[in-house]
Order: sequence, then structure tokens, then C-alpha cells
Amino acid sequence: MVSLVLILVASLFFTGIVIRTKSLASGRKGSGIFQPMKDIFKQFRKGSVYSSTTSFIFQIAPSFYFASVLMAILAIPLGKYPGLISFQGDFVLFAYLLAFGKFFMIISALDTGSSFEGMGASRESLFSMLVEPAFFIVMGSFALLTGETSFHEIFSTLHYGSNISYLLGGLATFVFIMIAMIENSRMPIDDPKTHLELTMVHEAMILDNSGFDLGLILHTTNMKFAMYGAIISNFFIGDLASMYTIPIFFAVQIGFAITVGLIESFMACFRMGHNPQFIFILTSVSLLIFFGVLLLLERFV
Amino acid sequence: MISLFLPGAILISVLLYFNKSKIVNYTLVVFYALFLLTFAVYQSFHLNSIELGYFKSDGLGILLLLTLSAVTIPALFHGYRYIATHDESKKSRGLFFAAMTMLITAIGAAYLSNHIAVTWIFVEITTLCASVLIYHHRTTAALEGVWKYVFICAISITFVFIGILFLSLSLKQAGVEDLSFDALEKNYAQLNPFWLKFAFLFIFTGFTAKLGLVPMYTAGIDAKDKAPAPAGALFSSVLMNLGFVGIYRFYAIVARTEILPWANTIILIAAFLSIFVATVYMTRIKNIKRMFAYSSIEHMGLVMLGLAAGGIGVYAAILHIVLHSFVKPSLFFQFNQVYRVYQSKSIYDVGNYFKYNKAGAIALLLGFISCTAMPPSGLFVSEFMIFQSLFESHHLIILFVVLLLLTMIIWGFGSNIFKLLFTPPISIDETKIPKISAWESASQYILLAIAVYLAYNPPAQFVHLTKDAVNLLPQ
Amino acid sequence: MTDILLIMFAMTLLYMSIANRLLTYIRILVFQGFLLFGVTFLELSHINVTNLVLILLETVVFKALAVPLFLNRVIKHNGITRVAEPFLPNFVSLIIITLIIVITIVLSNSIKDINLDKTFFVVALSTLFTGLYIISTRRKIITHVMGYLVIENGVFILSLAVGNEMPMLVNLGIMLDIFASVLILGVFFNKIGDVLNDPDVNQLRNLKD
Repeated sequence: MVSLVLILVASLFFTGIVIRTKSLASGRKGSGIFQPMKDIFKQFRKGSVYSSTTSFIFQIAPSFYFASVLMAILAIPLGKYPGLISFQGDFVLFAYLLAFGKFFMIISALDTGSSFEGMGASRESLFSMLVEPAFFIVMGSFALLTGETSFHEIFSTLHYGSNISYLLGGLATFVFIMIAMIENSRMPIDDPKTHLELTMVHEAMILDNSGFDLGLILHTTNMKFAMYGAIISNFFIGDLASMYTIPIFFAVQIGFAITVGLIESFMACFRMGHNPQFIFILTSVSLLIFFGVLLLLERFV
Repeated sequence: MISLFLPGAILISVLLYFNKSKIVNYTLVVFYALFLLTFAVYQSFHLNSIELGYFKSDGLGILLLLTLSAVTIPALFHGYRYIATHDESKKSRGLFFAAMTMLITAIGAAYLSNHIAVTWIFVEITTLCASVLIYHHRTTAALEGVWKYVFICAISITFVFIGILFLSLSLKQAGVEDLSFDALEKNYAQLNPFWLKFAFLFIFTGFTAKLGLVPMYTAGIDAKDKAPAPAGALFSSVLMNLGFVGIYRFYAIVARTEILPWANTIILIAAFLSIFVATVYMTRIKNIKRMFAYSSIEHMGLVMLGLAAGGIGVYAAILHIVLHSFVKPSLFFQFNQVYRVYQSKSIYDVGNYFKYNKAGAIALLLGFISCTAMPPSGLFVSEFMIFQSLFESHHLIILFVVLLLLTMIIWGFGSNIFKLLFTPPISIDETKIPKISAWESASQYILLAIAVYLAYNPPAQFVHLTKDAVNLLPQ
Repeated sequence: MTDILLIMFAMTLLYMSIANRLLTYIRILVFQGFLLFGVTFLELSHINVTNLVLILLETVVFKALAVPLFLNRVIKHNGITRVAEPFLPNFVSLIIITLIIVITIVLSNSIKDINLDKTFFVVALSTLFTGLYIISTRRKIITHVMGYLVIENGVFILSLAVGNEMPMLVNLGIMLDIFASVLILGVFFNKIGDVLNDPDVNQLRNLKD
């Protein structure tokens, strides 16, 4: 319960910090931290326009997307407190809930009959497919390391002893940050500012949504960011007492947001053709994490 | 005497490089040839003596050293003729002879080395000298040849080094630190066979660049094609022997351990593939010098087949490389004159050689008969013994296929040589053809005669040295 | 600590497979030089001091400074375009190099020898095969030379694995390094740049039958 509340709170200001960092990095003052939330509330008050070529899928998909991400958040623990859904192998459920939501977004994009959206949908599905092995291998390595298979138990029994475990923790953080960037279609995979065919992935999929649906989709992006931030903060929290947990959680979230903002300000977007190999490198790095875990466990003498 | 020979030879090379006067150059070259001969004869009287801790003059080393000194004399003579007829500048002449003498010195020292790392160092030096020789005419084609040669040899040398590292890994168990061949021979029972297999694989692959087997033979083909013919003759004979020595000494240690059947299989595969590759190219080739180069590959493939078959094959292998070192250079030396007559290496531009240079043509014909191992060639004896050893070790299918492939090679080789000798070319300007004196072909007759003599009526000392070399392997 | 450095070395190999520009290759080689410096310092601390200082100097000066500087100069002098042109797309290269690393891990898992430090063996062997792969799938001659330098780094790591007892082998490896760099880079590459205008391997295809 604690983790659900904290993640929802963090999602309120996450995108705001990202945009603020980007503005400050370019020398402007930038908008307020809650400006994106105000934009979303504005969207909630508007009416939606549905095209006559779409079917009921287009109308229900954003809600399914929002609901799936909300359910996935229920599985994430925070330090000593397990998530509301916590059982052996729950990280697999987590991954497939996210995939479920994404599936509905993809078919709703195809439902509009626009080739532009179809292109965005195909890119989104390719990138998600390439990222999935990385996620499973990292979680699998940590499951192997700690001998447990649920989020809560993995993170609470993880402790850093030797040098290698610090390296593994660092590498896993890097991989998760990259997964978050890819899943949310930010730089350097995709440029959310430019609505051009060259660099659009997620933006292309949601071109035809409006009003309440658009507000739901935008807030889902915020929640996904906060969700990944929560997973990353779990690497640092481990088993500490609760009075340290919450400040560390917020510190990690803010740090993550600032990192995202800095990456977006200082890196150029990759050529679309170069994206698959960049994403696949995450899988290779996670294979090295697996190798490191084997070394740590001395199953590899 | 090696502590005297090495510095002396290096001094001569350096002097040759810096010196500009023709007479001093030629005097130094003659002096070097005599020096080498003295060294070889001296070593042959001191069988199995160890000098400087790293050099041992055993039977194999002395045999090849004597061959080297015998082949050096015509090589340097034809080098002198080459420079004289090509009107070279003083600097390139100095560089040519310096590189030739340095190459021969390094090869001679490597024959005698007793430590695998010392062999490795000298093989690196030969790569350096050989690349200077290949780039003698500074044309684009020569640049391409030398680049390929240097690159492939650098990778092969790295492979040999990796093999040495694996060898030291296999020695860790034995607690031995000395990598000399004597120490390895004493401690063969304690070598870890797993690492020894890796070591053998890498060392064998590395040395095939010098020896001219699959997979690294490609470097040698371009080298022999682009280098001046006297240098090409050395590459085809004594440099290939260096590859053989490197593999043979290591094989002698492996032969005492339990991985011998596996090692034999590897050698058989590589040798068989080499003969196959040589056949494929010989039947389609249009460049005469490259044809000679592929023929060398075929011979080395046969040598390694004999080595892997065992029994009398080992004696035949060593006899074959010695005889081959006399036969192949004679072909290359004669090629110089062919080129002077026709100014082209391609088979389409040559023909009717009998008309322009009778002595040379007969030498070429005799060289062809020797090289394809038809009697009365010396190579006939050794090839026959190799086939006998293959038969005795029950490798019948390989024997059958190899005989077929050799027939095809004889066809390819023969059709080119007979076209060169008897068929007139399409168009040739007879006024431009220079007169070649018959005496220039004399060295080839002598070399071929030595090959016949050593095969059919070998002196007792020669047989004794060969048997001593064979005894490196366990019986 | 050496394990960490070696795992980072393996990551540079992965990065090399997707790098597009020649400058990135050179930067990776510099980084590898520094990593090797660290590994040498940690591994060989109990051999003779002068030998150690020599080896350390060689790693830093040669691998991390001199050779990359020289490569830079050669690229500028010959006007080589900035992009490395591979025969296979980068994605396929990445998959193949990942496969190489995985196969090497599986292979070395089946070796039951306690004398060998497995991480060294895995990283050395994967570097070796990655270097060979880079040589065979890139079009420019200068990437061939860089592939050869990667192979040499791999051989150096392997020699460190056995170098504790026999420092002479590490010295020999260094000699190989110097010989190859001086010969290949120094003498011939400049000559090739002067003669051929476009340093493309396809230009060197004339010598065949």
C-alpha cells in the first residue's frame, strides 16, 4: 500500500522536474513543476473526438492502458513493505501486465487506419520486443543471486558485499534507466518534442487520441516513469528502516528525473536505423550481469 | 661458433646496406657465402652440441643448415645477375643484398634454436626481411603483396605466441619453467594434455603461414609472386623448411604424449586440404610464377602427409624437404631468364622457348620432370616412400584421392610448361628478344643433379644426419 | 577488482561492435589501454620492480597513447572518411559478438583446471575472436589494423594469466606489440596511403588468379 501511494505521489511531479531540468539546462527559467499535471487536468475537462473509421477498441484502449500500468504498480515493493500483489514469480506478471497495456495501445493505433500511426506502432513493438530479454535477464540474474523469485524478497535479501556486487548494482541501474527511456520513448531513442516521421515512436501512436483519453495516456507515461524510478530506488534501499526509506525513495526519484532531463538536453537523438542495435546492447550488457552473478556465486570456477 | 656467426653476419648485412661501391658489395656477398658454408661444416662436426644455452646443433638442424648454405650460393649469384640486368640504383642494391643476407642468417639461426621462443623471434625477423625483399620494385602490385604478407604473417606470429602461452599453461602442472625443447622432452609425461591440444592447434596454424599449408598459405603465394626470383626461390625452399622445423620440433614432443592420434588427424586434414587447393589452382592458373608457388604448397602438403602417416613417412618427409630445396629454386632461377625473354609472366604471352634459349629450355624441362616427381628425379624416391607409408598406415582412401589430385596437378603443370617450351605464342616481336648465355642455366643443372645424387646414392653422412633427425620422434 | 576491470573490458568489445565512426574505435582502444594498465598493476605486483615498471610504461605509453595518436595522424594524413564501413549491418555484428562471449563462457565452464583464472581466459578468448571478426567484416584497411590491435590486447590479457610465474612471456608479448605496431602502422600504412587514394580493401583485390 505504501509503495502505491508513494509512486502515485511521485508521478505527479516527475515530468515537471524533467521539463524544468531541460529548461534550466538551455538557459531558460522554465515552467512550474506541476505544469504537466495542470495540462492533464485541462485534457480531462475536454470532450473526445472519435473518428468514424475506428471501432470500440479505440475507445476502450486508453483505459485498459491506464489500468494495466496501475495494476503493475501494485506489484512493486518498497524496501520492507511488499506490494499489494506479491507472490513467487510476480515480476513475470509485472512484465506481462505492461505488455498487455502496450498491446491495446498498438491495436488501437492500427484501428485508426492511418499508416502513420501504424508506423509508430510497429516501431514501438520492435523496441519493446528488443528490450524484453534485457529486463528478464537482469531480474533473473538477481533472482539467481538471492535465491528468491518475487520482487519483494529479491530486493529485501539483496545486500552488497564484494566489489563485484557494486558493479552489478551499478550496471543494473544503468540498464533500468535505459529500459525506462526506451519504454517511454524518450531520448536518445525518440525525440518527444519533434513530431516528425523521422523520430516519432510513441507520439505517432497517440496522434488521434483527444480529450479524456489523451489525458489518461499522458498520465500513464508519468506513472511509468515513477514506476521505473521506484524499481531503481529499490536497488538502493534494500532492507533499511522506514524512516530512511521514504526520503531515499524521493531522492532517487528526483535524481532519476534530473538524469532524464540531462540526457535529453545533452544527447542527440539516434538515427532510427541505429536504434535496434542500441537497444540490443542492453541485452548483451545484461548477459554480462548474468556472468558477473555467476562469478559472484562461484558457480563459475 | 654461432656466437661468432651471428654478429659477423649482422655486421656484413649492415655493411652491405650502407656501402655504395659495387666491388665491395660483391666481395662482401662472396665472403658471406663462404662464411655460411664454414659455419655449416663446422656445426656438422659438432653434432648435438649446445651453444649459448639456446642453440643446439642436432641432426635436423645441421642437415637443413647444409642445404641452406648450398642453396645460398646460386641464390646470391642469381641475385647478382638480377641486379646487373635490371640496372638498379646503389641504394636498392644495397637493401636487396642486406635483406637477403639477413634473411638467410635468421633462417640458419632458427634451424638451430633449441627454445621455442627463440625460434619465434627469428621467424619474426624473417618476416621483416622478406617484406623488404617483396617490396623491392616499388609498384602498386608489390605493395599489395607486401601488405597481405605482413598482415597475415603478423596474425600467424600472434597465433604462435598464443600457442606458446597455452604451452606454458600446460607446463604449470609440471612446475617446470623452462620452455626449451630439451626440457619439454624430459617432462613430456607431466604436460596437461588439454592445454597441449590448444597449444598444438595454435602453433600449427601459426606456422602454416611460413610452411604454406591451409589455412595461412595465401601470404606465401603473393610473396613468391611479387618478390624478385632469387628471393622467391629462397621463400619457396628454405623459408618453408623453417615452417617445417617449427612444427616438427613441437610435434616431436607431442608424439610422446597421448594426443598423438588427434594431432595426426589435424595434420592430415590440413595437408589433404592443401593438396586439394593446390590442384584447384594449378589447373586454372595463368601466371607462371604463381604456378611454381602453388606447386610448393602441394609438395609441403605431401611432406606433412608423410609426417602424419608415420613409420617410413617421417624419413621420407625429411628427405623430401631437402630434395625439394634443391629442385624448386632451380625452377625459380630459370624463370628469371624466361621473364627476360618474354617480359611477361602470363602463360598467354610465352611460347617456343626452345628457339630462344636451348640450355634454359632443357633446364626447365628437367626441372618440370623433377618437380612432378617422375623418375629419374630425386623427388621420386621420397614421394614413393610417402605413398608407401600412407599405405602401411591404412590411409587408403586418402592415398587414392591424393594420387588422383597429383595426376591433375601434373596435367596442369605440364600443359603450361609444354606450352611455354614448344608452342609458339600468338604474336611476338623477335627482334626485341635478348640473347641469354647458356652459362646462366648452369647452376640449375647442378642443383638438379645434386637432388638426383642425394636421392639415389646418398653419402653416408647424409643418411646418418637424416636418421638422427628422424630419431627425434619416439619409435 | 580485476574481475570488474575485465567485465568492463568485455563491455568495450560490445560497444566496438556497434560503433560507427573511426574516432570511436580509437577511443575504445585508448580505454582498453587504460583498463589493461589497471589489470597489470593489480596482477603483477609481486614480480621484480623494474620489470613491472617497464610493463606498466609499455601498456600506458604504447597502447593508450602512442598507437592511438599515430592512428589519428594516419587518418588525417590520408584523408580517410570518418565512417567504418562494415559488410554486415551493425545489429548482426552485435548479435554475433554477444554469441562469441556466451560461447566462450560456456566453453570455459567445461574446463576443470584450477590453475587458470577463468575470467582472464574468457575475456582473452572473446577479445581474440572479436578482433578476428572485426578484421573479416570491415571494408577499410585501417579497421583491419584496429582489429589486429584488439587481437593483441587479447593476447596480452592471456599472457597476464600466466605471467605471474613467467614474466618473460609478458615481455615477449610486449615485443610482439611493438614489432607489429612499428612494422604495420609505421612503415606500410603510410606507403599505402600514398599510393592508393581510397583506402578500401576492395582496391587490394587485384592480386588473384
